[in-house]
Amino acid sequence: MDNQFTVQQDGNMLTIVLDEQLTTNNAPALMEELNQYKGKAIEKVIFDATKLTYIASSGIRTIIFAKQKLGGNPEIEFVNCGADIRSVFEMTGLQSYITFVSK
Amino acid sequence: MRRLRFQPIAGRTEEIIDAILQTEEVASCGKALYAVHLVCEELVVNVVSYAYPPEAEGYLVVEIERTDTCLTIRFRDGGVAFNPLEKEMPDVSLPLEERPIGGLGIFLTLQMMDDVSYERVQDENVLTIKKEIHE
Repeated sequence: MDNQFTVQQDGNMLTIVLDEQLTTNNAPALMEELNQYKGKAIEKVIFDATKLTYIASSGIRTIIFAKQKLGGNPEIEFVNCGADIRSVFEMTGLQSYITFVSK
Repeated sequence: MRRLRFQPIAGRTEEIIDAILQTEEVASCGKALYAVHLVCEELVVNVVSYAYPPEAEGYLVVEIERTDTCLTIRFRDGGVAFNPLEKEMPDVSLPLEERPIGGLGIFLTLQMMDDVSYERVQDENVLTIKKEIHE
């Protein structure tokens, strides 16, 4: 499947490896998966966007969800975020709350 | 003008979006394609999810026009009258911790398109988006 994701917890860090797209089709499943990590003292959420070429507003909702609902106001990091996606973050004012890392 | 008609539409969001993106008029939009994809997804999801009562067999007509410098897409549905442009826009200057989780779709549509307009015509919602194409 093209548009899947994996979620892995390592101590207080959660790593989400995204595939090519985070859309209305798969974002609700990611939000449901993230819901299972509520209250588990997650301090940092890393989105690996190396393969990601497209994020819809439903995908952005999952990032806001991670920040607000996991508890503990975790740091949000995006690894290898493409220019188009970064520009959507800028339009929605999210870029100030995301650490962008290139690896 | 190209005209795509979908009926019924329930459960066909992805198929409808793919059909729009695969038209020659849209596929040739180059750098504007990301914005067009995102906006089409928002608008199609809105119609499929909210325009019709669950038991109704709704339809969606998508009309696509392309010139060298402009893409125009018109979405027509026969669902309940709804002008998405009247929705309150989210305050994107709020800290992330205080933001409502939803409401970004129409905001992004207005940000990413050069013109967005709504009309109610003969019991149809008609939403038209225009994007200038610079290659």
